[in-house]
Amino acid sequence: MAAPVLIAVEHVSKRYQTRSGAVDALADVSLAVDEGAFFTLIGPSGCGKSTLLAMIGGLAAPDAGRVLVAGAPVTRPDPTRVATVFQDPGLFPWRTALENVEFGLELRGMARGERRRIATELLGPLGLRPFAEKYPRELSGGMRQRVAIARALALDTKIVLMDEPFGALDEQTRVLMGEWLLEIWRRTRKTVIFVTHSLQEAVALSTRVAVMTARPGRIKMVLDLPYEYPRAIEAPEIVALRAKLWGEIREESLRAIAEST
Amino acid sequence: MTIALARAAIVAALVIGWEIAARFVSPLLAAPPSVVLPALAGVLTLEAFPDLPRHLLVTAREIAIAYALAVSAGLTSGFALGLYRTLGRAYGPILAALYAVPAVVWYPSLMLFFGLDSASKIAFGFLLGFFPITLAVLAGIRQVSGHLLTVARAFGAGPLTTFVKVMIPAMLFTLAGGLRTGLALTVVGVIVGEILGSRAGIGSLINHAYGLFRTADYIALVIVTLLLVVASDAVASLVEHRARRWSE
Repeated sequence: MAAPVLIAVEHVSKRYQTRSGAVDALADVSLAVDEGAFFTLIGPSGCGKSTLLAMIGGLAAPDAGRVLVAGAPVTRPDPTRVATVFQDPGLFPWRTALENVEFGLELRGMARGERRRIATELLGPLGLRPFAEKYPRELSGGMRQRVAIARALALDTKIVLMDEPFGALDEQTRVLMGEWLLEIWRRTRKTVIFVTHSLQEAVALSTRVAVMTARPGRIKMVLDLPYEYPRAIEAPEIVALRAKLWGEIREESLRAIAEST
Repeated sequence: MTIALARAAIVAALVIGWEIAARFVSPLLAAPPSVVLPALAGVLTLEAFPDLPRHLLVTAREIAIAYALAVSAGLTSGFALGLYRTLGRAYGPILAALYAVPAVVWYPSLMLFFGLDSASKIAFGFLLGFFPITLAVLAGIRQVSGHLLTVARAFGAGPLTTFVKVMIPAMLFTLAGGLRTGLALTVVGVIVGEILGSRAGIGSLINHAYGLFRTADYIALVIVTLLLVVASDAVASLVEHRARRWSE
């Protein structure tokens, strides 16, 4: 049952210097993410979830502690192992949907024909084939984010980091995108670390959820979700789980609000 | 269609107004279109100025050299100031202050330094073209979204790849606009330089015709200059449009 640990975060701290002084973003955070997990980080705004994700992706360095991926310390982005999806899709506006998906493969020096084939294959199941030649400005928010996800999946890495990927979408699109992501994850068995504000997403998708505290971010609790997919949101154990998570997060969110005002 | 008609209407109105106004003034000081047209024909058939092609060539050469220098220096200094913070903070304000000085005040010293021939015109054209290109590069760099740079880094792009695949495309439209403005101002610089004092070039012919009160010839030469400038700007605008289509 126990899958090997793929990502280990060990006693990580991070402090940012701002104009109004130093801000502790993370304080002594430790986590272990098993291979194949759908690991969700949830917590109030500004609790350092995104910072933590950036460290795992090699985009930020911890002040103390270390992050290990497959046993090796992370020092810089490694697109052969880790792909990232951001809240803002960050598509290149001068590239078509297809060319955006090809970006990572192009950087690897893959031949044009081959990367085009891979990108085209990816767009199909995402319902984007008819939009392959469209520019990002011609796509809806949900489509853009699907292109960004396809761009990350094209790297075919073991690990996918997702920083509130559906945060800017409306509720309905969000639920559908969640279902769609779940299907991809179940098919590919990638290890996903997913940052969200949404309890609904957390309980519907995750194998494990870590609740973070208000700033400075610490891990408050880690919950296992050994339930079958797809999960019925009205099932009693899911309702109970959601209530329990909300209890934990509510307290932290209240603290975060109190501190920010 | 409506736009073309409106355009034709204002040109016609101006020509008619010009014709009427010029008839009330001494022919030495103003030539009406009915006189300028034959003069223009004389200029174009090389009757009035047999060595017009040579002068045009001199001007074209000066513009080409001045523009090539302005583009290379403008891009270099723009990227140096925009990409290296310390340089930008040290020299950016100096550049902006220099740009605020009307460039023509430098021309006498350029003539003294570079002499009456082509070199001073090239220097002046360069001076006028250099600033808009540098400033466009600086503005373009500021336009590049930090998020796109982060995305590129996450996908494994090093500094050079990021520059070529993200920065340049992201700033291309602004850059093309700056290159176009730079060309227009280089042309202005070279021709103004020739008019203010030279032995060859279209500007020297203009000055010559004007000095001899050959007013109709003078206006005809101005029209020839205008046509050349409009043509060069049309080419530049075409390039700019392609850049816009590509980068937006």
